[in-house]
Amino acid sequence: MQKTKRLLIILLAFLMTLTVACSSDKDKNKTEKAEPLLVVNPPFKAPVSETGPPENIKWITNESDPVYASPEAVTGGTLRLAITDFPLTFRVVGPDSNSSFRSAILDNQLSLVSVHPNTENIVPEIATHWAFGDDKKTMYFKLNPNARWSDGVPVTAHDFAYTLEFMRSKHIVAPWYNDYYTKEIDRVIVYDDHTLAVMATKAQPDLHLRVALAPTPAHFYGTLNDRFVQDYNWKVTPNTGPYQISDFQKGKYIEFTRKNDWWGKDLHYFKNRFNVDHVVYTVIRDYSMLWEYFKKARVDVFGITIPDYWYNKTDTPIVNNGYVHKIWFFNDTQRSASGIWLNQDNSLFADKNVRYAFAHAMNIEKVIKTVLRGDYFRLEQGFVGYGAYTNNDIKARRYDLEKVEQYMKQAGWERGADGIWEKGETRFSVNVTYTHEEHTSRLVVLKEEAKKAGIELNLRRLDPAAAFKQILEKKHDAAWMGWSTSLRPQYWEHFHSVNAHKPQTNNITNTDDPEMDRLIDAYRNSLDEKEREALSRQIQAKVHDIGCFVPTFMVPYVRQACWRWWRLPEPPGTRHSEDLFNPFSSITGGLFWFDQALYDQTQAAMENGTTFPPVTEIDKTYLTGRDNP
Amino acid sequence: MISISPLTQKKVKRFKSIRRGYGSLILFCALVALSLAAELLISNRAIIVHYQGDFYFPTYGNIIPGTTFDLDYAYETNYRELARRLETEASGNWVLMPPVPYNPYENDFMEGKYPPSPPSFSRKHYLGTDTSGRDVLARLVYGFRIAVFFSFALLIVTYTIGVALGSAMGYWGGKFDLFVQRLIEIWSNMPLLYVIIIISSVVVPSFFILLIIMVVFGWASRTWIMRTVTYKEKEREYVLAARSLGASDTRIIFFHIIPNTISIIVTFAPFSVAEGVIALTSLDYLGFGLPSPTPSWGELLHQGWSNLSAWWIVCSVVVAMIVTLTLVTFIGEAVREAFDPRMHTVYE
Repeated sequence: MQKTKRLLIILLAFLMTLTVACSSDKDKNKTEKAEPLLVVNPPFKAPVSETGPPENIKWITNESDPVYASPEAVTGGTLRLAITDFPLTFRVVGPDSNSSFRSAILDNQLSLVSVHPNTENIVPEIATHWAFGDDKKTMYFKLNPNARWSDGVPVTAHDFAYTLEFMRSKHIVAPWYNDYYTKEIDRVIVYDDHTLAVMATKAQPDLHLRVALAPTPAHFYGTLNDRFVQDYNWKVTPNTGPYQISDFQKGKYIEFTRKNDWWGKDLHYFKNRFNVDHVVYTVIRDYSMLWEYFKKARVDVFGITIPDYWYNKTDTPIVNNGYVHKIWFFNDTQRSASGIWLNQDNSLFADKNVRYAFAHAMNIEKVIKTVLRGDYFRLEQGFVGYGAYTNNDIKARRYDLEKVEQYMKQAGWERGADGIWEKGETRFSVNVTYTHEEHTSRLVVLKEEAKKAGIELNLRRLDPAAAFKQILEKKHDAAWMGWSTSLRPQYWEHFHSVNAHKPQTNNITNTDDPEMDRLIDAYRNSLDEKEREALSRQIQAKVHDIGCFVPTFMVPYVRQACWRWWRLPEPPGTRHSEDLFNPFSSITGGLFWFDQALYDQTQAAMENGTTFPPVTEIDKTYLTGRDNP
Repeated sequence: MISISPLTQKKVKRFKSIRRGYGSLILFCALVALSLAAELLISNRAIIVHYQGDFYFPTYGNIIPGTTFDLDYAYETNYRELARRLETEASGNWVLMPPVPYNPYENDFMEGKYPPSPPSFSRKHYLGTDTSGRDVLARLVYGFRIAVFFSFALLIVTYTIGVALGSAMGYWGGKFDLFVQRLIEIWSNMPLLYVIIIISSVVVPSFFILLIIMVVFGWASRTWIMRTVTYKEKEREYVLAARSLGASDTRIIFFHIIPNTISIIVTFAPFSVAEGVIALTSLDYLGFGLPSPTPSWGELLHQGWSNLSAWWIVCSVVVAMIVTLTLVTFIGEAVREAFDPRMHTVYE
């Protein structure tokens, strides 16, 4: 009896602690209004240069490139988007900051200058004018005097000098940035509040891509200390772009609100853009759940690039009744170098004939025609979409059993009893390392087709981290992967012998070729654009000649579904648009707008059951030189 | 040695008299036997080819290149096409194809249609194709074979370890028992699923790696019953008699105690087979099982789940699982009833 009583008391106590714990949890979940932004620190002043900028420089501006926003655009409305995970911090540097959500914050942080998405010319952002120094490593900028931080403080040249100070600080715990802003940017020279120069450490082509810094609000951060990482986790940093975080609830949603009187709203390239009043990111952790949210109009836009969504899943009442529009927009941007990367340190692929045979044994066309429903395009080589830097004469090796036979015999191999090529003890059996379950259906087709060519593929799916580790340690046979892109092709990391035969470099094919090294060095050292373009095309031909990379697919378009009250300009995107509903990007974003009349009409129609004709818009403005799908 | 004692004979007789269980056993054995001969029933290789006076039996062994039959390619003969061609030629040559002329790996894409395609008797996809255009029936049967033999192997190894260690614990008792008990308690608290997820993210698990992992974590639960019954058994006269005759511990455990307690273990075996099949299927379902493109029920289930409109995938695999697991459960119940000690033993 005594015992039961004691047990009861303990249980009761436990229950009470539980309830207390629960209620305190609830308190924590309260909506967190973004903290008011206060100017607390004395303004940072970089030493002002005593001499002004050189006399002989030529100030340039660019207000003449075509605009790509629609003059019909009106302001208003809320765009509701989804993120799969709540960001771990609002900081954009330091631990845990490299989440996909970071771009939403960074996109609202304008730079000095930017690049026009259709012409690739330099266009102004915070700077109105710029000039190149004779040394090919300095650029001079004049700032827009109207530029303001979101707290109303004017943006000055000192804020750019502070960027260097900030990025080089050890308190931000971001070694990569520390290193980059030390090794790549030499200094920022302040001439007066609105004139500055940014100097790179070495002369280089496309200098503007290197030195177009974004300012950092010195008055907000003040002097950094070792509590930076903790202190700024959830602080909303002042920015210069059109939107600012106005409200959030951790784990649930983040709301951005358009600034009332944004200083940039009437600028040539920003006019009629950034139209919605609010952008709300809701956390929806599952992709199929997101589709359900979209169908209930609780999310406005949904990506349907995947064939299954484009063809099957969108065969649903909301689309067939015309409430939701489908858009297929072809862009012309840098394509990821995705394909099969052969490790030449593996004795199997040491022989060029074997590499060629392998490429000819990959029936990529069949995969495109069957599994991918003809929706994907063959990637002809690793560097497509770089304009004049791309060598359009290169054609990927096509599936050809005779050529396989010919190359393998040249290399001295024979077919074994099971039909697989053999040479001595070695069988032509290749482990293909890959990471995504969705790619299995493509690889099984390649495997069956390769078997006809006498090559055995063993599919080895690993967790992305484990696969990447294996590949970077160069322990793979063949890696099925793609690389991210940059504005200009990068060769040194992938194909220079400096990076071959050692772990943790991106030369995962272990390419080690003196001629290639010569070309890459010349490309890297050249400051002449025409020469660089020619060298780039030569390097690509050399990559094709070495045959260590079997290019697979590219998706030269984006397909999205949106509710019909969303309007887009004509054409709906830019050459480089990868998301027609990107709300913030200063280059390609904010082109859409909310149409209240259409919204009311659609809501009424859905209520009383009237329908509209279904709309599938296919835009081929930027589809160049390829067969139509 | 272990011989069939009259008692065991009685149990077997009793088992046979439980018709549902006995019937299930026969059916299950037949299914396993059929799956062993799957190459003759479900394969893209012909059973017999009669070509220009010669007979070919391509089912087992090396590939026969297309050139053998005067085709213009050197890779493995496409027997389905060969059969069609020889039929139209009517030159006395013929091909005997298996009832399902597809292997579980090949993709059968149709012009203008995209997989999965529904069941079709004319194309001999009796259960349709999966999302990669592979025959569902072929993948079911080959997947069954792998799952069942995986589970048999798992059963044998875990029981061998579990029974031996359990008996030792029960027989020696004392500190050894205490120590191993604690060891097992700690060991069984290791989350098996997480371990498998971690391991399979680092290496691609093969049949044997998976088997080893499952054994390493599966033996512990088999020890408890053996330990208990051995405790009971070792006090009985025949053990004392054996010991007084000078029999070694090993001999007593393996030749006296285990044969007398095996019936208790046997009743658990059918359920363990079911457990093994479920374990492998769920791992494959989660994507941590055998590497693609190994035919597997879990993978089919996963496909079916994400393509519910392709009802034939999910239906096939769910029906197959229900049938198998029901059969095994019926067998298990019958075995338990037949081996029920109350029917046979009289306590002293």
